[in-house]
Amino acid sequence: MGRIAELQQMVRDSEHLHINSDLLDYAGIIEYHPEELIITVKAGTKIFDIQSALAKNGQILPFFIKSNHSSIGATYANGGQDLSDSVLGVKIIDGTGALLNFGAAVMKNVAGYDVARLLVGSKGNLAMIVQISFKVIPKGYFNKPSAPKKHSTPASIQKIEAKLAAVFDPRGIFQ
Amino acid sequence: MLVIEQLLRTLPTGIVITGDENTQVFECDGLSVYRQKPLAVVLPQNVRQIKQVLKICKATRTPLVTRGAGTGLAGGAMPVENSIVLGLSKLNKIKSVDVENRLAVVEPGVRNIAISEAVATHGLYYAPDPSSQIACTIGGNVAENSGGVHCLKYGLTVHNVEALKMLTLDGETLILSRQNEGLGLLALMNGSEGLLGIITEITVKLLPKPELARVVMAGFDSVRDCARAVASIIKIGVIPAGLEMMDKFAIEAAEDFARVGYPLDAQALLLCELDGGKVQVQNELDQVLKILSNATTLKVSDNEAQRLDLWRGRKSAFPAVGRLSPDYYCMDGTIARRYLADMLEKITQLSQKYQLRVANVFHAGDGNLHPLILYDANIAGELRRAEAFGMDILKLSVDMNGTITGEHGVGIEKLDAMCHQFNAKELTIFHKIKQIFDPEGLLNPGKAVPELHRCAELGAMHVHRGKLPHPELERF
Repeated sequence: MGRIAELQQMVRDSEHLHINSDLLDYAGIIEYHPEELIITVKAGTKIFDIQSALAKNGQILPFFIKSNHSSIGATYANGGQDLSDSVLGVKIIDGTGALLNFGAAVMKNVAGYDVARLLVGSKGNLAMIVQISFKVIPKGYFNKPSAPKKHSTPASIQKIEAKLAAVFDPRGIFQ
Repeated sequence: MLVIEQLLRTLPTGIVITGDENTQVFECDGLSVYRQKPLAVVLPQNVRQIKQVLKICKATRTPLVTRGAGTGLAGGAMPVENSIVLGLSKLNKIKSVDVENRLAVVEPGVRNIAISEAVATHGLYYAPDPSSQIACTIGGNVAENSGGVHCLKYGLTVHNVEALKMLTLDGETLILSRQNEGLGLLALMNGSEGLLGIITEITVKLLPKPELARVVMAGFDSVRDCARAVASIIKIGVIPAGLEMMDKFAIEAAEDFARVGYPLDAQALLLCELDGGKVQVQNELDQVLKILSNATTLKVSDNEAQRLDLWRGRKSAFPAVGRLSPDYYCMDGTIARRYLADMLEKITQLSQKYQLRVANVFHAGDGNLHPLILYDANIAGELRRAEAFGMDILKLSVDMNGTITGEHGVGIEKLDAMCHQFNAKELTIFHKIKQIFDPEGLLNPGKAVPELHRCAELGAMHVHRGKLPHPELERF
């Protein structure tokens, strides 16, 4: 059984699952074409591994990074708008154990709702992120961003977020 | 009709448009092969009136289709049966400009270019520039997450929107901001094609106008050489402001129309725009020219007039092709850039198979393709052939790591193609997202996301890699 199939089974068998990188244990660069400015990585990949692959081609991840010892999946799940701006696609396992793809490893894509960017900041409460595609940029175009400001969301939006959580995780196992 | 009576009774004179003759111009958007009469069109002047329309539509269970300027190319603003069209063109005020923070707060009916015009005196502009920018509205841009020729460097609409104010079907106001904690709801609204809410106010980011912009035009003997040049430019670390490619047919059509000096002997043409400070532009120009040394023709703009001239051919490519054929069908797939030359070869083969000419215009920088399929709607069967041709291109796009639509949206046009890109479970997630915002299914229903049975019916006709698509669905 492949690692993804194992993770899907784990989700199906769980009544409660707290996602972290150790659990995910799914790391590595899937695809990186410097001339495309796009990298696709497994969610458990450490940021510094991504950074060193990119550095060989003078490219970088163009968003605020708190710690390059974190996994890219955790960084995505806790990310803000600056990270969201670089997201192109995700592969997730939802709360029913289904493997789903949203977005694509291309610069422009408006097919379907933008779930790949919706789940930025989802803190592991909606789905297990297993793979992410990012836009990267040459170092020369990078303005080092500061930590994004985050204001608390009003009740009306929290209500919508709770409903969205139920769409991706109908059994509430990731909460 | 109860709903029309209620609208007429509630709203001031001149806001509600009824009668076939008066509503005819609203029957379609830029994709004019599909048409549908609405029950009525409402052109509100303020948010209070929009709320009244929402209330009436909800009470009478009448579908509502929001419309900006109607320049969309996928039927997103085409009315649905027995619907009310909510045209937001009268909400056209720029409410405030914050020069220091480079932000502008605008109503949804403001035209894209009007924002740049209004802030030009401050040396600022709004970056996303869809080719319809003189007419299209910012509200429509958000609904479609519109692109343009400068996306690679400056991003899509979603990257240039700071905040949105929207109404749910219940009339509740939501404010979505980039600064909010939690899920990416602001990104979700961008490109949601009018299915989730009514956008009533947009805060857009403004950028300082670059000091200088220069464009390089290069002709090539082969598409492959041109595509290789594109990859090399990106790989050395230059991000051009614009990077556009045209094939031979598109070059000929554009040159015949605009007479700007495009090389008629070239198989492919590249336009590469560099912008920024003077030193930076010169530095990038030197690097790019080195890469383009194998081009058969090479020209660099020396002044603003020359730069605009070189662009004029590309920007008039659509009308130029329009002169060569009674009708054309514009596709919008995006692929991983490394497949550009392969894709063009396949399109050439398909052109022979379907016996229809095609002109190719690409946003090469971001892999977004606009093949223009030429046909004549008056010849029986040609439209269907053009559509089948287009569908083949979209399926190829998905197979090349890409997507069926880069910037035009799904609307009504690409519902079938959506079945090729997403499986039943992914489509179900989309439907459930809509139900959260619009439980009654009244906002632009039937657009953007296909019903599962539609995909199953299509899927029954072809088996993908030995597997019947959507095996979980019952078939009759």
